[in-house]
Amino acid sequence: MRDPFKISLLPFCALVFGIFTLMVAVYFTASLPVFQKEGIHIYITNVWIAVEDNPEGEFYGVLAAIYGSVYTSILAVLIALPLSIGFAVFVIDYAPQKIKEPLIVITDIMAGLPTIIYGIWGVFVLVPILRDYVMRPLYENFSFIPLFSFEPAGGYSYLTAGVLLGIMVTPFASSIIREGYRMVPFTYREAVFSLGATRYEVTKILLGYIKPVIVASILLAFGRAVGETVAVSLVVGNTFNIHPSLFAPGYTISSLIANQFGDAFIYGYMVSALFAAGLFLFVIGLIVNIGGLIILKRYVYAKGG
Amino acid sequence: MRKFVFVALVFSILLAGCTQTQKPESKIIIAGSGATFPQPQIEKWIDIYTKQKPNVVIEYTGKGSGSGQNDFKQKLVDFACSDPPLKEDLWKELEKMGQPLQFPVVVGAVVVVYNLPGVENLRLDGETLAKIFMGEIEYWDDGAIKQLNPEANLPHERILVVHRSDSSGTTEVFTMYLSLVSKEWAEKVGAGKTVDWPVDKIGRGVGAKGNPGVAAAVKQNPYSIGYVELAFALKENFTMVMLKNRAGKFVTANEETIKSAVSEVSVNIPSPREGYREDLKVLLNAGGDNSYPIVAFSHMIVWERYEDKAKEDAVMDFVRWILTEGQKSENIVNGYVGLPEDVTSKLLAEIGQG
Repeated sequence: MRDPFKISLLPFCALVFGIFTLMVAVYFTASLPVFQKEGIHIYITNVWIAVEDNPEGEFYGVLAAIYGSVYTSILAVLIALPLSIGFAVFVIDYAPQKIKEPLIVITDIMAGLPTIIYGIWGVFVLVPILRDYVMRPLYENFSFIPLFSFEPAGGYSYLTAGVLLGIMVTPFASSIIREGYRMVPFTYREAVFSLGATRYEVTKILLGYIKPVIVASILLAFGRAVGETVAVSLVVGNTFNIHPSLFAPGYTISSLIANQFGDAFIYGYMVSALFAAGLFLFVIGLIVNIGGLIILKRYVYAKGG
Repeated sequence: MRKFVFVALVFSILLAGCTQTQKPESKIIIAGSGATFPQPQIEKWIDIYTKQKPNVVIEYTGKGSGSGQNDFKQKLVDFACSDPPLKEDLWKELEKMGQPLQFPVVVGAVVVVYNLPGVENLRLDGETLAKIFMGEIEYWDDGAIKQLNPEANLPHERILVVHRSDSSGTTEVFTMYLSLVSKEWAEKVGAGKTVDWPVDKIGRGVGAKGNPGVAAAVKQNPYSIGYVELAFALKENFTMVMLKNRAGKFVTANEETIKSAVSEVSVNIPSPREGYREDLKVLLNAGGDNSYPIVAFSHMIVWERYEDKAKEDAVMDFVRWILTEGQKSENIVNGYVGLPEDVTSKLLAEIGQG
């Protein structure tokens, strides 16, 4: 009955779970002061009034940062998904043996690069290129479309942050999809080919087969994008701004925390407000993961039925 | 016998090694943290000073005035540097732990930099500057700017305003100046280490982290305007705006114009024992024909007494050195200005080191 191995694993499980619970608890208790002072307004307003001598005069609302975090991360996933699926399929199915390994190694290096490297590249290369060759022309010709309706202010925008994030999470997402795609048993492939399917049709069917892997890669990529700090902070503009257009500058939760935390404790409530913003990242993570679980469940049912 | 000699030899070497490693024990380590603005200057001082006093090691971490204040309060560091003087609340809290001493160590200026191809020597006055940073003036060829620069070839391009995204003493000095010269700014925005920039809400403002961030953003974007520390602007070869001072003259920031501003106000510097009484405003928009209007002290905060007597002596010696030798022009980094001698001698006398 008693399995010593099982019992010996328990502390590890308890530790992982305990760390997570403690973190949430710390974030929650640290954000309590601002909840008591402002209530839900911390999440539904867009203001940032920091007053040094008078804590009553302070007011924080991080809606712009929440909006920016979600906006840029969705953009990143939209960009990263086709890129990483295409890349994974090419590497596994088509790449000649000679360049296959180098391609894989390169993406693995890209996935592990410090994010500040992407950030600097973003500021000096991506921002001017997107501003001059993407945003300006689109704004000048299609400004009646809400997405393009904002005259680009110097290239710092949701779009730049989204593209940069997309590039950053692509190697990460593609290595997950690649491994999943590689694991598809060869007999399946043969079976579909034997039915006379074209290469495109085979790929389509096999990708459907590894759908859970793709969903998992989206979730993880989204999680990485939402939590990315330094690189985004360099290109997103860091302004408390809520605008539907891709070209408007904005803020994200993690860059807000990175920017403001240094001096936050000289104010009465700012530390608490930043903790509350961080707490919301947990909520976003939770929502995204539950969403992923629901998709996977449907998939399992569909297969079963 | 040979074996014994060998063992004795090994032992003697080991022992010799011991005595050598024990020697540096007498080194005194002084740790400091705080404002990034005076960091190049502080580092230069530390470099020269510790060459003269090899038994003292001084470390300084630049992480922002506010962080330095907090580190000092938590007693994580022996001294702190802060651009704005300490607030009264914090001062009273510190006094419960011992007598803090705060004194200016160097003078700097905040300059307005811009990226406007083909336009040199841009002239602005406080009111126009405030309107630009509020977003009320949208284009470079606005009437208000034109009037101040009749000869310049101003383009019809939208102004991009770059400000600090992190909380910073530079922003506090700059917004305090704008509050002094523009009533509208004082009412709508006010002064602080971080403010709610109205120009952000119209989408023509962007925030960038630190002086390097602002500098990069201004360089990258034609038709932008921002503010950085003078030392930084000089290092990066920026074109700086000539600002109209209280006497109505247009001046650029340099040693002469900064010294002129300081000499106007040196009587107003409070005793280091009452550092919180210092008012940032007195140095801003100073009178005098040749005074640059956005000038600020950078301060150092130390305890009067330390638990370790040796450390106390070392800190006080460093302080005395900074306020005497350190103020000589060969020990001052380009872009900063030393304190006038009457100020330093007064400060030294009040600290009890005169």
